[in-house]
Amino acid sequence: MRPFLSLALLVATAPQAAPRVPAPAFALAQVQQVPAPGAETSVPPPSTQPQSLPEAPVGPASRPAPLVPAEASAPPAGVRPNAAPAQGTGEVPASEPSRVDDTATVPAAEPAPTVETDSAPATRGVAGQEAPPVPDDAPVLASDLGSDAPRTTDAQQQRLVNGAPLYNPNVSVHIVQKKRFADEGRHELTVYPATVQVNGKYTRHAGTAAHYTYHLQENFALQVMGQYNWHSNESAFNLELIDKVREQAQAASSLLLVWGAHAGVEVTPLYGKFAFLNNSLAQFSVVLSGGAGIGSTRHLIRPAVTNDVEGESFQVPARFGDTGTKFMGSVGGGFRLQFGESYALRVEVRDLIYTARVDRVDGCNLADFEALEAARSTNQDFASLNLSGSCRYEKFDGVDPKTKKNYREDIILGRDLVAEPSSDVLNNVSFYAGFSVLF
Amino acid sequence: MIARTLCAFASLAVSLAAPVAAAQDDENVLDNVVVRNRLYEPGGKLELSFGIGLPLQTHLTAHYVFNAGVAYNLFNTFAVEARAGYAASRHTGLARSISESFLNREDKRVTDELEDLWQMNLHGVAGVRWAPIYGKLSLLSDLPVHFQTYVWGGGGLASFKRNSVIQCTQVVNRELGICDNRTSVDDRGSATQDFWVNESRVAPVVSAAVGFRFFILDKHGVRLELRDWVFRDNYRVNLERDAWEAGQASGEPARSPGLTHLVQFDLGYTFSF
Repeated sequence: MRPFLSLALLVATAPQAAPRVPAPAFALAQVQQVPAPGAETSVPPPSTQPQSLPEAPVGPASRPAPLVPAEASAPPAGVRPNAAPAQGTGEVPASEPSRVDDTATVPAAEPAPTVETDSAPATRGVAGQEAPPVPDDAPVLASDLGSDAPRTTDAQQQRLVNGAPLYNPNVSVHIVQKKRFADEGRHELTVYPATVQVNGKYTRHAGTAAHYTYHLQENFALQVMGQYNWHSNESAFNLELIDKVREQAQAASSLLLVWGAHAGVEVTPLYGKFAFLNNSLAQFSVVLSGGAGIGSTRHLIRPAVTNDVEGESFQVPARFGDTGTKFMGSVGGGFRLQFGESYALRVEVRDLIYTARVDRVDGCNLADFEALEAARSTNQDFASLNLSGSCRYEKFDGVDPKTKKNYREDIILGRDLVAEPSSDVLNNVSFYAGFSVLF
Repeated sequence: MIARTLCAFASLAVSLAAPVAAAQDDENVLDNVVVRNRLYEPGGKLELSFGIGLPLQTHLTAHYVFNAGVAYNLFNTFAVEARAGYAASRHTGLARSISESFLNREDKRVTDELEDLWQMNLHGVAGVRWAPIYGKLSLLSDLPVHFQTYVWGGGGLASFKRNSVIQCTQVVNRELGICDNRTSVDDRGSATQDFWVNESRVAPVVSAAVGFRFFILDKHGVRLELRDWVFRDNYRVNLERDAWEAGQASGEPARSPGLTHLVQFDLGYTFSF
C-alpha cells in the first residue's frame, strides 16, 4: 500500500514539476494559462497521433506511465477549451518557451506546443478519487487527448522553423505569443499635458487633453475625451500675409477651437513588442480611435496692437470674438506603450474635424454690426438699438480703463468677419503625448 | 517504514522545489530573449534605398522628393548613410492667388518678400542613423513583422530656386494679374516665360528624420519616416513697387530671415546585401 501512496504523491506533484524539465515533444503539451489575445495562429490538428521529434530530449526512464481518463471525450485537467476567452491578467507562464518569434537563435528543443481542445476539462483523478487541484499551467500528456489526437507523421510536420514547430499539426503557435497585460474590463485614465497642432496653416493651437477609456473587450474600448486649448491664435503665416500682401484666410478657415468634448470608440488592431538597445522589453499597441462631439470656437477680431493715447503707449492684447459651438468629429491613431500593469504612455495624432460657418461674432450678425456702426458714428447709445437677441453689443462698447482702448473701434473689424459669410470644414490635426493609469 | 516515508517525502520535496527553480530559469530565458531574438541583424551589411517624399503641409511651395541612398550598417543599431536626389517643386495655388491679386493692389507700394519661398531641387546629404529600438508586431493576426525605429541626422548641400510672388518686372495685365507671356489670358499653361523675379543658390541643408524600417524576408525592407529638411531662408525687405516694376533691384536682405523647414512623409524601399 505504501508504494502506491508514494506513487500517488509523485503523480500528483509531477505536473507542477514538469515545466522545469524540457518537455518531450511527443509526450507533453504545454498549456497556456491565458491565450494571447489577438495575434496568434493555430494550426488545426489532423486526425493523427503525435510522434516524437528527434530534437526533443527524452524524459526520465523511471517516469510513471501517463494515466488516461475513463471518458474519451473529456480532455485532461488543465487543458483550456478552445473557446475560452482571453481574460485575467494575460500572464502566460514564463516557462512557456513556444515563442516562435523569439526563437531565432533559441535551441530547437525549447519551443513547446500548445494544445487546444474543445471539451471541458475532466475533474476526476485516479481510480475515482478526487484529484488534487491542478494549476492551469500544468502540462498534460498528449496521450490524454484521446484517440482523436493528431499525430505528426512526416518529416515536414516535424520541421522546425526558427526553432518552432510551425508545421506540426499538434501545436498552436503564437506569432507574438505573449501579451503580458490584458485590457479587457479595465478603465484607463489618460492625461495629455500638451497637445500641439501640427497642420497649422492659418491657426495655431496648443492645449491639454484628458480622456477616459473603458476597455469593453481586449481590442475594443469606449472613450470620452475633453480638451482645452490654452493657446489658440492665428498663425504667423496668416499674419505675414496680412502684413505683406494684404491677404488673409477666410474667417471660416481660420476659426479657432477653444475647447472640445467628444465620445467615441477605440480599437487596438495591432500589438507588438520591442527591445530598446537590447536591454529592456516593452509592449505596445497600435490604437485607432474615432468619435463625435462638440467644440467651442472663436475668431481673431484684432491682433495685439499698441494704443497711443495722449503721448502714452499701451499694449492692447489681441481680441477674439465668440463664434459659437460647432459639431465636431474626431479620428486618430497612435501607439500605446505599456509599462507594468497599471501605467502606459500614449503618443497619438488626432484630427479634430469641425464645421466652420462664420455668420455671427459674439452673437451679432451683419445687420447688428451695421446698426452698431451707424450708432457709433452718431455716438448713440447701443442699448436703444433694435438688435438681435443674441448680440452681446456691450462687448463692442466702452473704453478699457487699463489700455484706454475704445471697444467701439472694433465694430468695423467684427463686421468684416461676417460681411461675407464663409464656411469650411476644418481639420485640426494635433500631436498628443500623454500618460495613462489603468485600474 | 521510516526509510520509505523519508524517500517519499524527499521525492515530494524535490518535485515541489522544481517550479521555483524553473521560474528562475525562465527569467533568465526571458532576459536572454530580449537580446537574442533579432530575426534580422543588419550589422555589417550594405544597403541601397529608394524613397519618395510627400509634403505633409504646404504653404506657398510644395515639394515631392525622390532620392536614393546607400548605407553601411556599422552595427545592428548604427549606420552611416548618404542620400542624393531631386525634389520636384512648385508654387501652391495659394501662392499663385497671392501673386495675381497683389499685382493690382495699389495700397501696398512698399513691402517685404514673403518667407519660405525657396524651392529645393538637387540635394545630397550624409548622415548617421541610430536605431535603438528593435521590435515586432503582429500584422493581420498571423504575420509577424519585425521593425526598427530610428532617428536620422545629417547634412549636405542642395540647390535652390526662388520665384517671387510679389516682384513682377514686366506687368502684362494688372487687373488679371498676368506677369508672363501667355497667349491666352485664361491659359496659364500657354506661357513660355514669366517675368517674376527669380533667384537661385546652392546652400547647406540639414536633415533630420524619425522613422520605422520594416523587414521583409532577409534582404528587403520598407521604410516609413518623417523627415525635415532645414535650410536658411533668404529674402529682401523694404521693396518698392516702382523700382521692381522698372526692373531695378530694390530693398535689402532681411537681417534675420530664419530657417525654412520642409517636412516630408517619406516612403521608401531598402535592399540589404
